[in-house]
Amino acid sequence: MADNVPSCAGAFLEVRNLTLQYKTDRYLVTATRDVSFDVGESDRLVLLGPSGCGKSTLLKAIGGFLKPAGGSIALNGRPIKAPGADRGIVFQEFDQLLPWKTARENIVFAIRQTRNASREEAVEEAQALLEKVSLARVGDSYPHALSGGMKQRVAIARCLAIKSKIILMDEPFASLDALTRQKMQEELLYLWTETKFTLVFVTHSIDEAITLGTRIIVLSPHPGRVVDEFSVDWTRGPEEYGESASLKERITQILFRDIDYVI
Amino acid sequence: MSYKAEADGADIPDEMKRTLSLHEKLYNSAAARKLFLLIFLAIAWQLYSMRVDNPLMFPSLVDTMAGFVEVVRSGELPLRALASLRVIVVAYAGGVILAGLLTVFAITTRPGTDLLEILTSMFNPLPAIALLPLALLWFGLGYPSIIFVIVHAVSWPVALNIYTGFMGVSSTLRMVGRNYGLSGFAFVFRILVPAAFPHILTGLKIGWAFSWRTLIAAELVFGVSSGSGGLGWFIYEKKNQLDINLVFAGLLTVIIIGVLVEGVVFKFIEERTVVRWGMKF
Repeated sequence: MADNVPSCAGAFLEVRNLTLQYKTDRYLVTATRDVSFDVGESDRLVLLGPSGCGKSTLLKAIGGFLKPAGGSIALNGRPIKAPGADRGIVFQEFDQLLPWKTARENIVFAIRQTRNASREEAVEEAQALLEKVSLARVGDSYPHALSGGMKQRVAIARCLAIKSKIILMDEPFASLDALTRQKMQEELLYLWTETKFTLVFVTHSIDEAITLGTRIIVLSPHPGRVVDEFSVDWTRGPEEYGESASLKERITQILFRDIDYVI
Repeated sequence: MSYKAEADGADIPDEMKRTLSLHEKLYNSAAARKLFLLIFLAIAWQLYSMRVDNPLMFPSLVDTMAGFVEVVRSGELPLRALASLRVIVVAYAGGVILAGLLTVFAITTRPGTDLLEILTSMFNPLPAIALLPLALLWFGLGYPSIIFVIVHAVSWPVALNIYTGFMGVSSTLRMVGRNYGLSGFAFVFRILVPAAFPHILTGLKIGWAFSWRTLIAAELVFGVSSGSGGLGWFIYEKKNQLDINLVFAGLLTVIIIGVLVEGVVFKFIEERTVVRWGMKF
């Protein structure tokens, strides 16, 4: 476990000694043990680890869907007790859009359920958001008629729509083809430069972590623990690509160090 | 057909396609194929009845249609159909509401779940009509007895399907709903009901079929007392008067109403909902 968990000044999301457990039919499974980290405002924090490191469970706990067995999670100093719209969530599954509503209505529904807005305002805002994720033309389509990438774009737009303090993404691009995935990563970064939302992003792809994160937390599996943490220097330009390659190497070494495990 | 294209091919260049000939188009249309079969069956009926030549045992299609037109004109058959429909609307609505309440109770509490599972596994295999003698004992000869039996016919299959539908709602959609702060009835009606709608619609269809059969069967046993019975009683009455062509006309009406509700009302709902949403299974 890393001993250099930095405590950012003005930590926005505080995860302290978090132990998460869930029950299957026969077992009590410990998903993460004693995990601590902070997320500062406008951070893009990536939780990186192989399957079984509890990173998705961790995200569900931040979402309020799972009560900690030990430790605490606090957002803005307040402990998280239940799900709420102050934390937007984008899931990996394509079925996260309500299939009985059009792309636009999905966003309108999100706005109207979580904020005080008239229908007209909500529709207008939804259209603006669809334009932002370059889906202005498919607003009237139902989710089943959209491609995987389009569905994830709508899900991201929906998250921006509820204006949550923090956006949690659970491998949102994992089921997409490589090209779409790369494009979505670029778009996500572009959206971030516009609104500077706080992002917690779960992935098992080292490349994705390096592309998206300002900070990367590496988790080990069985149960999940923090093994290391990296800051990615975003001030350097693309010509210093060599450094990200060495960062990748270091993370790979850490992940494979004590694991006879293929990611 | 071994290969079915997704779109209608309007954007495919002309040199790659030709329009289908008329008989190819007809063969592709399910409605046309079925209409052809229906005509074939009607002709077979007429020919067979002419061979039997016994209008008491097997009236011909022509006799049946003539009788049908006659009782429709005199207003007798529409009145009887209306009487049946009036009963079934009340009883069906009652059954669906009861099923809904039971299911909501079942998904919110553990004992409710167990209760629903026990009740459905007990009563689903029991033909509702078997309760008619009991119903007559409790409610007497009259519509309350029929309504009791129909509610029973509707509730269990509908409840079972709504419950299956609710249970099958993906955890992702549930989390999305709770993420928006939805809970209680708002969660049920804005997330669970639409998400489970394919199952709910199946339940409503099965409930309709069960209740329609049960109603006609109950009226057959029943009509004795009521002067203006429904379609079942009409069939029974005409058999006693040996107007067998009208018995056939009555049966035909039962079939037509059943098919219309299934093929028009439910089809309409299906097109507007699960087909449009890409949720039809």
